[in-house]
Amino acid sequence: MVPVGACLGLSAVLFGIGLIGFLGRRNIILMLVSVEIMLNAVNVSLAAFSQHLQDPRGQIMALFVIAVAAAEAAVGLGLVLALSRNRPGVSVEDLTQLRW
Amino acid sequence: MAIVAGQIAFYYLAGASIASAILAVTRRNPVHSMLWVLALFLHVAGIFLLVGAEFLAAVQIIVYAGAILVFYLFFLMLLDLPREEAGPPFGAHWPLCAAAGLLFVALAWRAQGPGLVPAVPRAAAGGPPPGSLSAVGMVLFSQFALPFEIASLVLLAAIVGAVVVAKRKTDS
Repeated sequence: MVPVGACLGLSAVLFGIGLIGFLGRRNIILMLVSVEIMLNAVNVSLAAFSQHLQDPRGQIMALFVIAVAAAEAAVGLGLVLALSRNRPGVSVEDLTQLRW
Repeated sequence: MAIVAGQIAFYYLAGASIASAILAVTRRNPVHSMLWVLALFLHVAGIFLLVGAEFLAAVQIIVYAGAILVFYLFFLMLLDLPREEAGPPFGAHWPLCAAAGLLFVALAWRAQGPGLVPAVPRAAAGGPPPGSLSAVGMVLFSQFALPFEIASLVLLAAIVGAVVVAKRKTDS
């Protein structure tokens, strides 16, 4: 039996690491991967609450989070592909124009 | 004995996932970052197993590690970024980002303690345990049937949207 507080602490730390990666990385693909790390951290806390309250609805919420993460990956990488057609490289610091 | 083993496994999995998340965020080479994210996802699947979410662990490995991450890796190789390792991995504003992340962790750590309700005791025998696959399936296809269908619509919209966004513009 894993204590729920430890799971929530782990979830907070993973979310913070993902937040640092999302805000700080220059590579736009790794920013998207950091979003995946944050979504995964939320899933950890949902699963922990599901066990803590003995209720399967937490796991179902985590399943929906995974489905939305897959959709986000598809759309996000499509956008990155469209961006990199116009301008090679994936550094967000080069993207300073709204249109070109 | 089993409780102690479970706690040792939890602390190993937690430490390994935090270490691989830090490495994933800080590595200069994007492919190395992706492989550390893979390690992170596998360890998180182990944590799901420990908290009794077997189906979620399987989905984590099949969908996250097997599909989404491989998609990212393919995409990285499609774009072919030879100069990515030359520059710094973080922008010039990274101390601000680190401060924001640490502040978030501190706030979340402080906030989680007081509001926690005591654990619900495991129900007596009769019916499947709440975390098991049959319990999840029963709730998913009765109470959550409509959200389940909406999730499939979201995925369809994402597929069509990705194709439309990434399509090469043709002059006609």
